[in-house]
Amino acid sequence: MTCCSDNVDKSDPAPEGQSSRQNSVDKARRTFLIALGTAAVGIGVGYALGYLTKPAEIIRETVERTVTVTRTVTVTPTPTPAPTPIPGLSGAASRAIAGVRDLLNKGVIAPGTTIRILHVAGSRANLEKAIELWSKYVPEVRVELITLGTEPDVYTKAMSEAVTKTGAFDAVTIFSTWLGDIVEAGLARPLDEFYARYDPEYVGPCAPIEPLGSYVTIYKGRRHSLALDSDVFTLSYRKDLLTSETYRKEFEAQYRKPLKVPDTWEELIDMARFFTELRLTAPSGGRVWGAYFYLEPAFAAYITWFNIFVEAGGIPFDLETMDPKVESPEGRYAFDIILRMKPYMPPEAISAAWADLYDKFVKGETVFTAAWPSLTKEAMRPTSAVRGNVGTALMPGVEVEVGGRRIVNKAAPNPVNWVGIVSNYSAHPEVAYLFLQFATAPDTGLDMVLTGVILDLFRACWFTDPRYRAKSAEGYGEEFLDAYMRSIEISYPDILIRGGTEYLSKLTTEVNNVAAGLKDPERALSDISAEWDSITKKYGRDAQLEAWRALAQLFPENVKSVWRAKGYMK
Amino acid sequence: MSREMARSVKLLATLPLNILLNAILIIPFAIMIYLAFLKWSPAMGIDWWEAAFVGVANFVRALGDARFVNALTNTVIYTVSTVSIEFLLGLLLAYLMLGEFTGKKAVLSLIIYPLMLPPVIVASVFYLMFQPYGPVNNVFLRAVLGDDALRITWFLNPRLAFTALIIADIWQWTPFIFLILYSALSAVPRRLVEAAQVLGASSFTIFWRIRLPLIKPLIIVAVVLRALEAFKMFDYAYLMTGGGPGVSTETISLYIYRVSVLYTDISYAAAMSLVVLVMLALVIRLFIWYFFERVR
Repeated sequence: MTCCSDNVDKSDPAPEGQSSRQNSVDKARRTFLIALGTAAVGIGVGYALGYLTKPAEIIRETVERTVTVTRTVTVTPTPTPAPTPIPGLSGAASRAIAGVRDLLNKGVIAPGTTIRILHVAGSRANLEKAIELWSKYVPEVRVELITLGTEPDVYTKAMSEAVTKTGAFDAVTIFSTWLGDIVEAGLARPLDEFYARYDPEYVGPCAPIEPLGSYVTIYKGRRHSLALDSDVFTLSYRKDLLTSETYRKEFEAQYRKPLKVPDTWEELIDMARFFTELRLTAPSGGRVWGAYFYLEPAFAAYITWFNIFVEAGGIPFDLETMDPKVESPEGRYAFDIILRMKPYMPPEAISAAWADLYDKFVKGETVFTAAWPSLTKEAMRPTSAVRGNVGTALMPGVEVEVGGRRIVNKAAPNPVNWVGIVSNYSAHPEVAYLFLQFATAPDTGLDMVLTGVILDLFRACWFTDPRYRAKSAEGYGEEFLDAYMRSIEISYPDILIRGGTEYLSKLTTEVNNVAAGLKDPERALSDISAEWDSITKKYGRDAQLEAWRALAQLFPENVKSVWRAKGYMK
Repeated sequence: MSREMARSVKLLATLPLNILLNAILIIPFAIMIYLAFLKWSPAMGIDWWEAAFVGVANFVRALGDARFVNALTNTVIYTVSTVSIEFLLGLLLAYLMLGEFTGKKAVLSLIIYPLMLPPVIVASVFYLMFQPYGPVNNVFLRAVLGDDALRITWFLNPRLAFTALIIADIWQWTPFIFLILYSALSAVPRRLVEAAQVLGASSFTIFWRIRLPLIKPLIIVAVVLRALEAFKMFDYAYLMTGGGPGVSTETISLYIYRVSVLYTDISYAAAMSLVVLVMLALVIRLFIWYFFERVR
């Protein structure tokens, strides 16, 4: 065996080869040492540069200046121009078109002006409808869409724009959860002036349903966005199974209580167990599971835990100190419900993306579920296996004691909520605003919502005014409209303060950890608490506390009364 | 032309490239280093050059961050597992493909095919394949385990989820190592092999003593390039598991992405990136030294 190695070596002139190898080793070592030295010097220079250019005094001065700017901006409302009547339009839509015509006539903008809207792919059909309607009235002003694939892409691009200030787009559709970050980053332009000038109908019978209309558009007391959507969760269920006489009798015999729309999570667990154990087969051929609530790791798991937590009377942060209050009986209870419900959910609930819940429900593979209104829209489509068999109700609640009385406390999550903001770096902010007002006006907004997937009903008159209600019912069904109106009344906002995405993302990770059996609830709660506290510290406890106190007021009255009863709120 | 003149011409000729390199490489890198010493997020409402200087606080935080350590550990395990298996499979395939046989070109094309697919597509396909009713359970495992196979939930069990990621990576990237090793083995001089055969060396001996030592430089290139890529893996974890269940399959790229993009904690993300960069540079350097430069 050594022969071959020797042969190889002999074919290579050894001394020369060795010396060249030695040289290359030395050179490589030198290069390595030089690179290491350069990196060390680079880090040192960076450190020194930062130290020399940023003494602490200057930083304090900068922060103070920022705060001052935030507080001293004054709004000078210009009277609404007497609008020229626009045939076929009324109210906010008419004022938007009149406004843009006025800008054209005064030469503020030239014909051919283009505004660009950054948005996520899921809303393309909705926005295309709005553009189609807009083009009928102002073909001189073009609207282009910059479409991004996923929701985090929009956040990334928006935050990058806040840093680079290129003016590449004029408006952005964002999650309302991001509003705090995006306002603080300087991207979202305050809109009070435009609201006052053009009146987007945020007061009156056609206003966005309150409190939703306020908490998705107002940040630190000022309007920064226009509502494009509402995302309140409702409980959706397979009505055919729940009303079946056979299953009613079987359930009653087994559980000694009636099979009905569950009022509490405890009741829902029994029903979910009942249907799961029946091992039914869905029209798709898949197994029917009793329940499917979000526990997935990427984004939505927090919704389920936070809903049960809030209903149980939990408050995320102390209203005096901003300390996290998740390590509490309410936090433990929320995990208890999730873990008891888990065996009756498809395993994908813990691992699949959010759209899997839609897929399974529309195929008839789950009995109880909760999601955005678009789930009902999807279930109403002709291709749905559950078309005509979908029931909608308020989210299940939690029994709590208030003033010595046991009540079922119900609250509905309102996660995401698309809103439109106008970029501070837009060359045509007023036109961008006017397009958003037009797109979301009572007359035109309903068409936009009904065309496409991710944007849903948000104005009160679309539910109540007979002129609009019939059209809304075509997309969602009468039963849904009633249940949804009531759900909005008990809806609560996401954590819409600076760092909101981070707070909720950390919560999602821990909820998924517990659901997957990787952490026990106690440790997860303690970790959430620690993570949340570090986020609060990062943005400044006082500023966060101020924002949280304002946000807490927007929680529904029934939730606040439980907080008061528990001493969490004065 | 005088020596001075020649030097000036050289400097002038390379000036545009120098400016370009400085603009696109060195300046952003210097900014990243600087950011790592600040406390800055766009959501703080100030520009990065106005942010507070915090010294090495971000680096200290990274070293004490359990999630960072977890992501780093996952990434190291992932890199070592995928690169080792891909190297062995690639080498085996390359050796087998050295011989001549009918349809060799077609087989070669088939082997290389996964390389041509975008990782996003591969991740999506493997995500579907590993679903409880997907082909992995329903076809392959069902043949062995029966209906019990349908109860295997790959993405709920940390180890299985991790295995699924590794399998997707191996499927796509083994051809990369194969390509390099195949071309290297094909270039080994025939006369050396024939000489060894004449002297009675076995096929294994020829492979172990002649072919392998001669292709060592290319093995190192293949392994280092592949390891660098595997270490940066993002697509599979993002699309197949989302880093879950929990954070059990979260890789360092995914975690840094979340910190910088979702949590907009840019300074901390910059610090973590630097820590990873330095660690990676040292490991790769050691690897090259051990296998390539070490004086025996």
